[in-house]
Amino acid sequence: MNKIGTRRRVEVEMTPRSVGSRNRWSVAADVLTVVMSMLWLFPFIMAIAVALRPQREPISTGNIFFGSHLTLANFERAWNTAPWEWHFLTSVIVVVGVLSVQLVTITMAGYAFARLKFPGRTLLLYIILLQLMIPTGILIVQNVQTIRELGVFNTRWALMMPYWGSAFGVLLMRQTFREIPRDLEEAARMDGANVLQVIRHVYVPLSIPTYTAFALVMVSARWNELLWPLIVTRNPEEGRPLTVGLNQLYSATEAGAQWGNLMAGTMLVIFPLVVLFMIFQRRFIESFAASGLR
Amino acid sequence: MRYIVRLIALGIVAALLAVVPATMSQDDDVVINFYWASAVEGDLPGIFADYAAQFEAENPGVTINPVYTGTYTQTRDTILAEGDSPLVDVAIMLATDMYTFIDDSYIIPLNSFIDEMEDGEAWFDDFFPAFWANSIDPAGNVWSVSFQRSTPIMFYNADLFAEEGIEVPTNNEELIAAAQALHTSDRDGLQIPVAGNFPIWMFQSFANAYGAPLTDGDPTQVTFNAPETLEALEFLTRIGMSVEDGGFGVGPMGGSAWGETPSAFVAGQAAMIYHTIGSLTNILQSADFEVGLSFLPSGPAGEDGTGYGSPTGGGNLYIFDDGSKSEAELQAAWDWVVFLSSAEIQSDWGAATGYIASRISSWEIEPLLSLTEEFPQYAVARDQLDFAYEEFTAYRSVEIQNIINFELSNVISGSVSLDEAASVLENAQAQIDGLLEEFN
Repeated sequence: MNKIGTRRRVEVEMTPRSVGSRNRWSVAADVLTVVMSMLWLFPFIMAIAVALRPQREPISTGNIFFGSHLTLANFERAWNTAPWEWHFLTSVIVVVGVLSVQLVTITMAGYAFARLKFPGRTLLLYIILLQLMIPTGILIVQNVQTIRELGVFNTRWALMMPYWGSAFGVLLMRQTFREIPRDLEEAARMDGANVLQVIRHVYVPLSIPTYTAFALVMVSARWNELLWPLIVTRNPEEGRPLTVGLNQLYSATEAGAQWGNLMAGTMLVIFPLVVLFMIFQRRFIESFAASGLR
Repeated sequence: MRYIVRLIALGIVAALLAVVPATMSQDDDVVINFYWASAVEGDLPGIFADYAAQFEAENPGVTINPVYTGTYTQTRDTILAEGDSPLVDVAIMLATDMYTFIDDSYIIPLNSFIDEMEDGEAWFDDFFPAFWANSIDPAGNVWSVSFQRSTPIMFYNADLFAEEGIEVPTNNEELIAAAQALHTSDRDGLQIPVAGNFPIWMFQSFANAYGAPLTDGDPTQVTFNAPETLEALEFLTRIGMSVEDGGFGVGPMGGSAWGETPSAFVAGQAAMIYHTIGSLTNILQSADFEVGLSFLPSGPAGEDGTGYGSPTGGGNLYIFDDGSKSEAELQAAWDWVVFLSSAEIQSDWGAATGYIASRISSWEIEPLLSLTEEFPQYAVARDQLDFAYEEFTAYRSVEIQNIINFELSNVISGSVSLDEAASVLENAQAQIDGLLEEFN
């Protein structure tokens, strides 16, 4: 293979015309890549452009990207709309508080369903599967009652507790663990490892890409959730996340769309996630490729 | 899984319960949970915190807990989700939510509070009468008090009218003539925001002006198939239809989008628009031309300065009681409603948000007084209230509005031709009558 490849390249380099056509193709591919990424980037770029534009200038007038001048006035107005510092605090606490518990519960349950034999295993698995199919919206009234009975209404616990178990996560980990060869577990057992040690030293390290993918999905789901927090919490200080602040901007529809404020507020809210994604970008992409999640 | 989650949660919570603050009140004060819905921008949490502080200073022993509950729809859903033991004491909800909540016995009538006021009658009469229309049921019970009210109004580009030497239209014929004169290839003569999910509000102004209000004070009756209703719908639809198709050709086909109409007007892309008075502040700040306001032009329902059809809109204050609240709590809730609807607060809130202050006397005090002196446009919507109709409301209001909005959109957008419009209205009427059957 290697030899043929080398020889071909030599041949290619010898004929100028072929060099040209190969470059054309790779240029075309590059152009296509740029066009596609521009398509994906376009809404994001427009959002930034609108956020930095003076509020009184509609996008249809003046320079499409910069308007007459750039301004942070929209950010100031958006910032003054809601107690964002409390909203940020709550969002971070909730995301960390949900994810850290979820990682434990889905690992345990995933292992149980993947490797342990116990009566009712299939039935329980089906019940969990079933839960994936129930839209959460229809359970909201009952869930609010439960939260109130538990005495955690209007606290951050109310935002975290319902998500401590995750049907999606359990099924995901079950599938991942099943693909890990039993031999590895048996070898560890021979060396005297107990169940927890097997999970800790065999299953978890081999499933890091799946955990990363799961974490990304769950973090953005909790970060973006609105309806539940709006209903079970009442005060920003006790625990209302960023989406509630953003909702204030989005519901100001009486006087027509206030795009500048909306986009500035949106930038404030997504900023931490964007930074997080940029830092862990390579790892995320690897995880999605490895886990087959999209 | 839910059950398992609850069990796990229960175990963990049992351990935490001692340290978790479980209720919203912290001391022996009467606490009023005040849910506010909002549709305007600004530091509203800050404003309500100020109002609450003012009120608490005047009323020792009462704590106001203002809670942002989202849009009107989210607020309604939040209250419904609280179920059998509601936490809400006072809420801003749509003026038209009355029958939704009477029906479910959440809100209480306010007559006895008003009767006990020293100057109850004078207090009542100081509100614009049009704003009571959505608060009082046929039996005479008062269920809500006006807080943040609005009405549709016509904005026009006064510079354009002056340049072209055109008079501001006062009736529908003049409206079309002016729109045709001002319509160019890159400017609409007239934009009416009826594209989208909520054409009913603007449509009401036409139905009223044609003499066929959809509702008339009786929550068990909705009329959507009157001949005048059809005429009104035909007129509204023709505004956006091209001349070749038999329309007036002066606006976008199917109407304009709510959110985009004010910016189109400000950018000079529309000579006249219908929109809410709540847009005035933004439009005044953004337009680089003289902004004119006038009543919505009149229709065939009347002549010589009558036949105006604008409905009212916006949010009212409601008091909630599931029967468990003490005399002191209810009195505090009522005092808070009286405070928020006072002339002083209404003047302040109106100037801050652009809503129409609902007290007649609030227009004679600051800050509204100087604002109207500087911008007389603010008073146009107030003066139009003399002719205003109630906003659409009935039992099963949400479902009926969905039917009406759906069919209006079908006709206005052209999905259904005008020839078929009559049968569309008949079908919708049959569905509406079916929904209201149990109340008749």
